[in-house]
Amino acid sequence: MLTKRIIPLFLLKGSRLVKGSHFGDYVDVGDPVSQAMIYDAQGAEEVVILDIEATKHDRMIDTSIITEAIEKCRLPIAAGGGIKNLEDAHCCFRAGADKIVINSHAALNPDLVKEMSDEFGSQSVVASIDVNKSAGGRYDVYIFSGTKKIDIGLEKLVETYLANGIGEIIVTSIGQEGTLSGFDCDLYQKLRPLVNVPLIASGGSGSYDDMVNLFQKSDCDGVALGKMLCLRDYDIVRIKSYLKGKNVLIRET
Amino acid sequence: MKIGIINYSLGNVGSVLSAFNFYKTDAKLVSQPSDIDQCDLVVLAGVGNFKTAVDRLKSSGFWERLNQAVTMEGKTLLGICLGMQLFADLSFEGGSQPGFGWIKGKVIKIDDKSVRIPHMGWNKVQAFDNNIFQGMHQQYFYFMHSYHFVPEDKSVVVGTTKYGNTDIVAAVRHKNIIGVQFHPEKSQGDGLRLVRNLLEEIKC
Repeated sequence: MLTKRIIPLFLLKGSRLVKGSHFGDYVDVGDPVSQAMIYDAQGAEEVVILDIEATKHDRMIDTSIITEAIEKCRLPIAAGGGIKNLEDAHCCFRAGADKIVINSHAALNPDLVKEMSDEFGSQSVVASIDVNKSAGGRYDVYIFSGTKKIDIGLEKLVETYLANGIGEIIVTSIGQEGTLSGFDCDLYQKLRPLVNVPLIASGGSGSYDDMVNLFQKSDCDGVALGKMLCLRDYDIVRIKSYLKGKNVLIRET
Repeated sequence: MKIGIINYSLGNVGSVLSAFNFYKTDAKLVSQPSDIDQCDLVVLAGVGNFKTAVDRLKSSGFWERLNQAVTMEGKTLLGICLGMQLFADLSFEGGSQPGFGWIKGKVIKIDDKSVRIPHMGWNKVQAFDNNIFQGMHQQYFYFMHSYHFVPEDKSVVVGTTKYGNTDIVAAVRHKNIIGVQFHPEKSQGDGLRLVRNLLEEIKC
């Protein structure tokens, strides 16, 4: 059977890897390619690389980083940041990306998802959605790296993406991101019945049991890990060994 | 031994090249159909839409040349992912579209309500071929697809993977052609081992 995926999620500012909390207070945590090689060697299932400044500066992720990573790693790489049309997506695939990740431009123009899934196949197109829980318990969707709230609700946006042929959805909780205090399990429990494509949880992982909890409660297909790997003493080998001990279906490496 | 990876502007052939380069082989991307003449092994990779792939292979002149290389010259060919699905005589991705027809069978959408589509991630392959799957660790490989190949003659199937209630065809082998639904170039150690096994097998 298909195993759960442990996915290091890399945030880029230009050519450097950064990590913050609540989508701010970023610190430099190294070189994306050398970090990707480390997690590849440890047996990560995939790496997601997102340039968080690309859309703001109206440019795209530096595709030379994708090329260097795929030449040195033997795992799938999903890339995103500033992809706003088919040509941008072609650039990423030509550079070697296995999947492209779209966020702000897809939320502003959901037809983009349809164009891309028609051209590249659903399996190559991933949507990333950033959400924040409002005081009333509603999940608001934010674009431009968490700086701008949009009017469309989370459920509606997910429904539109699915109708347009999205192949996978990564949902990041802005409130939990970088806090190491655990995933927002309610969020994924709520989304899971609505999402019939792979769903990846992101934001808040800080311990082994955070992941066990998430998988037990929500049946997500994978977890995206950031600070826990970059700034704490965890590695993929030990994470997998712990999860296996808790009967999470994990690929042995 | 020369290895040619067909570069028909669809998908990331760079990773495939990089996997072959790991074994210091004489592998290169091939953009002209005539370059196939010198190749001992041809690799047909590809992601995306079946029809788009067929159209691009035809417009670039690769279609005829590959057909000849496989059916007349007996050249060894490895098909990866969509490259394997192209072996079929018919695909139902976006209507119905004929493939090369090297192996009788159809490419259909995974039809199983109990699982999520696309089939995306690492799944374990049960192998029925002692050559290309030898010496591996756990036989987990990376899959990313919504359609799968169902050959008529089951004897060509040399690997399957379980997804929900479906035994998805993960690898096929028929005369001089070998196809894998997963991505060996993305499957870490066992993926590289498959490349090595193939290289050792065809060593002249």
